[in-house]
Amino acid sequence: MSIRPLCLIACGLLCSCSSLAQAAEPAAARLDETQRAFFQQYCVECHGAETPEADLRLDDISFVIASVEQADRWQKILNRLNAGKMPPDDALQPERARKTEFLDALSQTLAQARQILGDQKGRITLRRLNQREYRNTLRDLLGVELDVRDLPADGGTGTFDTVGASLFMSSDQIEQYLALGRRALDEHFARAPARASAAPGQPQPFTAREEAEVFGNRRMNGLFKRTKEMHDNHVRWAKEVDEAANRPENLEVAAQLRKKAEKPRPSSGVPYATPLLFYHDWDQIQGAPAPTEFGFKDAQAAFFEELQYQKFFSYYADYQLLPNRDTGAWLLFYQAYRETYISAGETWPAGRYTLRMRVAANESAAPERRFVEVGQRGDDVSDFTVFSAHQVTGTLAQPQIIELSVDVAANGQRKREFAVREKRPNSRTAEISSYFDEFEKTGHGPVPAIWIDWLEISGPQTSRQPAAVSLVAPAQDQDREGARDLIERFATRAFRGIRPSADYLEKLLALFDSRRSLGDSFDEALKEPLSVVLASPGFLYLREPSAEAEGGSGSASGTRRLDSFELASRLSYFLWSAPPDDLLLALARSDALQDSAVLAVQVDRMNADDRSRQLASGFVHQWLGMDRLDFFQFDFRLHRGFDDSTKAAARDEVYETFAYLLRENLSLRRLLKSDFVVINGLLAGYYGLDGAGVSGDAFRKVSLPAGSPRGGLLGMAAVLAMGGNGQFTSPVERGAWVLRKLLHDPPPPAPPNVPQLARLEGQMLDVRQRLRAHQEEPQCASCHRKIDPLGFGLENFDAAGKWRTVDTYLLKGGAKATWPVDPAAAFHNGPAFKDYFELRDLIEARSDAFARGFTEALIEYALGRPFGLTDEALAARIVNRARDKDFALREFVQALVASEAFHSK
Amino acid sequence: MTMKTPLFSRRHLLRAAGTIVALPALESLGFRPFAPAAATTTTAPRPRRAVFLGFGWGVTEETWLPDARVTGSNYTLPPGLAPLARHKSELTVVQGLANKFANEAHWGSTFWLTGANRYAEPGQSFHNSISIDQVAAEQLGTSTRFASIQLSSPDGVANGHGPGLSLAWDARGKPLAGIENPLAAYHRLFSDETAPLAQRQALLAQKRSVLDAVLADARRVQRGLNKTDTDKLDEYFQSVRDIETRLAKDEQWLPIPRPRTALTEPRAGLAGRDEIALMYDLIAVALQTDTTRVVTYRQPVGTLLSSLGLKIAAHDMTHYTTGDRLDASQRRDRAQCELLAGLLDKLKAIKEPDGSSLLDHTVVAYGSNIRSVHFLDNCPMIFAGGGAGLKLGQHLVLPPHTPLCNAWLTVLHGLGIAAERHGDSTGVLGELQA
Repeated sequence: MSIRPLCLIACGLLCSCSSLAQAAEPAAARLDETQRAFFQQYCVECHGAETPEADLRLDDISFVIASVEQADRWQKILNRLNAGKMPPDDALQPERARKTEFLDALSQTLAQARQILGDQKGRITLRRLNQREYRNTLRDLLGVELDVRDLPADGGTGTFDTVGASLFMSSDQIEQYLALGRRALDEHFARAPARASAAPGQPQPFTAREEAEVFGNRRMNGLFKRTKEMHDNHVRWAKEVDEAANRPENLEVAAQLRKKAEKPRPSSGVPYATPLLFYHDWDQIQGAPAPTEFGFKDAQAAFFEELQYQKFFSYYADYQLLPNRDTGAWLLFYQAYRETYISAGETWPAGRYTLRMRVAANESAAPERRFVEVGQRGDDVSDFTVFSAHQVTGTLAQPQIIELSVDVAANGQRKREFAVREKRPNSRTAEISSYFDEFEKTGHGPVPAIWIDWLEISGPQTSRQPAAVSLVAPAQDQDREGARDLIERFATRAFRGIRPSADYLEKLLALFDSRRSLGDSFDEALKEPLSVVLASPGFLYLREPSAEAEGGSGSASGTRRLDSFELASRLSYFLWSAPPDDLLLALARSDALQDSAVLAVQVDRMNADDRSRQLASGFVHQWLGMDRLDFFQFDFRLHRGFDDSTKAAARDEVYETFAYLLRENLSLRRLLKSDFVVINGLLAGYYGLDGAGVSGDAFRKVSLPAGSPRGGLLGMAAVLAMGGNGQFTSPVERGAWVLRKLLHDPPPPAPPNVPQLARLEGQMLDVRQRLRAHQEEPQCASCHRKIDPLGFGLENFDAAGKWRTVDTYLLKGGAKATWPVDPAAAFHNGPAFKDYFELRDLIEARSDAFARGFTEALIEYALGRPFGLTDEALAARIVNRARDKDFALREFVQALVASEAFHSK
Repeated sequence: MTMKTPLFSRRHLLRAAGTIVALPALESLGFRPFAPAAATTTTAPRPRRAVFLGFGWGVTEETWLPDARVTGSNYTLPPGLAPLARHKSELTVVQGLANKFANEAHWGSTFWLTGANRYAEPGQSFHNSISIDQVAAEQLGTSTRFASIQLSSPDGVANGHGPGLSLAWDARGKPLAGIENPLAAYHRLFSDETAPLAQRQALLAQKRSVLDAVLADARRVQRGLNKTDTDKLDEYFQSVRDIETRLAKDEQWLPIPRPRTALTEPRAGLAGRDEIALMYDLIAVALQTDTTRVVTYRQPVGTLLSSLGLKIAAHDMTHYTTGDRLDASQRRDRAQCELLAGLLDKLKAIKEPDGSSLLDHTVVAYGSNIRSVHFLDNCPMIFAGGGAGLKLGQHLVLPPHTPLCNAWLTVLHGLGIAAERHGDSTGVLGELQA
């Protein structure tokens, strides 16, 4: 994503080249002359001018890579070397160390060449709203929350989702915009009555309440009684079968059947042996009574009923002894009554509703179990979609009321049901094993952790952010002129202050007319042209005309200065991923936004606004490559605590920390090392910071005890979890991430066609031994000698970010191998560290590199184009200005917004 | 409106893109809307169909690729291909193919059907060109309701496919969106509008007015844009033209009901093996009913593993070493081949009016740009079915680094498309032709 500073190139790779100031010709990557001798000796020797091997001449190839063709030629050479094909086995082989150096230099140079050749020279390509921006824009415009997952994913060519060149349009997509716009308008109009009827503070018109004991206890009582009854039946039946079996004429066959019952019978669905199977074969015993006489459908049914009794009756019986069942119910961990739920009534309008529940935690349950999840049920326990997790701090003596807001969609769009359950891994196997682990140990199921009195939903709320444009026309204005007026106001707002053309408005009005003539109501007919607005280019694209097209009316550099409306949009999509609000639009209309002091005040206001959370989630998520967190399932057997809710909290920690730094204008360096964390109750428990007295769901700053490994990105569970595969850690992933994101020294992309090391197959090796193999082959060592040591330094964190001192490897058959973690290593050609803490200090000491990488990412995200060579000076200026303020986070933003580039197209 | 000759203008574009196609005879430019498959006589040659199935992360080469020393028809199917045994005479396994520009070790699908050079365009860090299915659709798609169908799954990038929204890229090298689940595909292909004809005609007219309106705004937006932005906005214009083409087609197909199928509406939320199996069912029926003649499917890998009860991330699996990873990788191979064998069964069981089978007139291309691990040469490749006149029942081992696009060019020729080249092709593969 980034090009390293030219000064670095000048010192390292372009040592014989001129300085930056003289660089009049286009920059080009150059393979260092020190590699000439190697190339000459091991490549050109055979591929020279005279009778070159395989007709491939390499003597004439330039060390300066200035064209795509040259880059492709060098790529081929690199690929052959990486594949271990060259030099061929029968030729003179280079020393490992020299080959490693050559591969390192060539792959770095080639990566640089690709960046230089792909440089867009500061050109910003017309940007379409990406998925996030589109959703936020509709929310601002219409006050509705839309599920935009129907839209195709954005670009995905490895750039930020704001980069115009990587955002495409297709016919399917236009049709989806039309459909989604229509859906948003339907919801908007569906919510209109709610907005009109109630003022804030008034009782909410629609309420439903579910008393948990009504359903929960009835179900549990029923299960208890039925299981008991079926068991009693089985006892009576078994007794009579036994009696029959004991008659002399049956003794022989009964003995055989008892023997048979000692073997599992998978064909009958019983993969294990149980004496119960004996009764399964009752019909082979003369005079034995049929199970149907005892209330069973058949022998199979009798068998399974009794099995249920053996495994679950104690669970149901224990439930009957639980307190406070007269006013509430206990949520079970395993089946039967694992969640309670409530639905919005069919006639209720769409909108934002309040969900409340009165709950208490069982103080004898483990603290990490005292959480509930709110979400939507699926077909299976593992299909539960978690919306949010909440810590339950209330007790039976003093229950607590948890309140949250939920979106109820227009009827028929999506499920309008909300369920509550104990927090857990989203996996059926996890549920089953949790139950039976406990059952086999104690003879009882897991003790219920959550008591719930009631669950209530009411609304719609009226304080919800109002729509930017009111589409409710008073009765007297419900004519053609009224429609024209509404359409024009809506389109102008949707186009972020830009007035649509008259021709366009006429066509929109014609659509309204046509719907009217077909008998649509005023509102209904209006939806047609309005949904077209939401699929029009003026809405979907951030239009910025350029000087080139306007005959060079801009500055001497060929760029054009943005007008105030364009600037307002660029600013608000940068800081909020949302359209400009009323204030920004007003400042644009008066051109006050062009005043640098006014602009700076706006940047501060926007950074302090809640909407700046979009910068935290949108930008930070992509900058740090956090999509990897969703690449794999976490193995609940190894990382029981890292369930979906914990993962979500860990992800939020990264965003919340960034948001906190932005809000408080603290130093970017706090992301490298810090004496505080920004966490909620769930993470406090997960990190073992229980002593800090943090409880509840809100994230807040928490000071760390001395010697804590937390504080800074490297101590965050989300970052550490990304550096693994859900089971085990990957020092390679972690090391590469540190190089890429923290040290601004990205390794080249994983090269194709490098043979895998097969030598170590089947051997029991610790992480270090396994990775030491990387140093053996030059094609591996050229990158891994830099990557792996940094990963070793983080080995004290397991694959879910928990601190450990011993590493474990599970062998086939369940045996375990363990060894103490050894985090000591050294930077390649750099200082050594003896543990994680020293590594963290060494990384923090490189905060200039970190600030530089952050700045390049921020430029790319804000301007919507890749960081290019032309941005060198800009990046240097931003870093310098921020450094003067100890890298205070808002300084980066202010410096970027104040720059010429931010104001230019 | 100004764009009444969409096919013609797109054909011009085609020549500018990665493929050069000789202009076909004039009649193929026009629609034959009232002569869909069912109405043609049994003596007419059966239409040719093409299906491209891409599976991202490659295969376990040790147990998937046949022994390279035994070529021809007497080779042994390795364990990874064993589920295809009953179709051995109906398919050919090809070794030695590669896209010479492929350098991205995690991109198994982006350039698979295009053969493009990512870096070909100075000043850009990403470039692609038209995919073979879209070249084929230009000609095979004129008389079906859908010129081509793109199927995909929601989890592309993490599953070894690389950038793109499906396997397909249009004439300008832009990604074509794919239908991401069987339910959506079912509705797109087979759900009939229930409204009366007159109402549907009115709806079409309304849709045209909508396009008219957005174009009016597009012209405003276009004013003052530089060349790059004009090119970008051209995607929007092109998309509108594409919708217009589709509407024109819809209009001609309006009186013809969608084909009835025995398929019932799929359950929502299917993932992995069931999802692929259902997509395969939909592909078979779409071809059978002549709803389309060109299909691409970018298959899921990660959810396939989960559905097989394998708790391993797809990328980790590809770096297999003896143990869990290798086991997962091989089970993935087998599951994928079982599914493919199922699709071939279906195509074979469907009889054409002349008594031949649908498989006789369909070419199924099955593969990935990634072989195993991070290897991008000797791409796994299977061709099945008689649709492109390929020599079947063979194990063909070509010289290393034979352009994959030579195979695509051979397929195009077999489909009756007179392409001069595709991507970086250097010629057709005579060995592959029957």
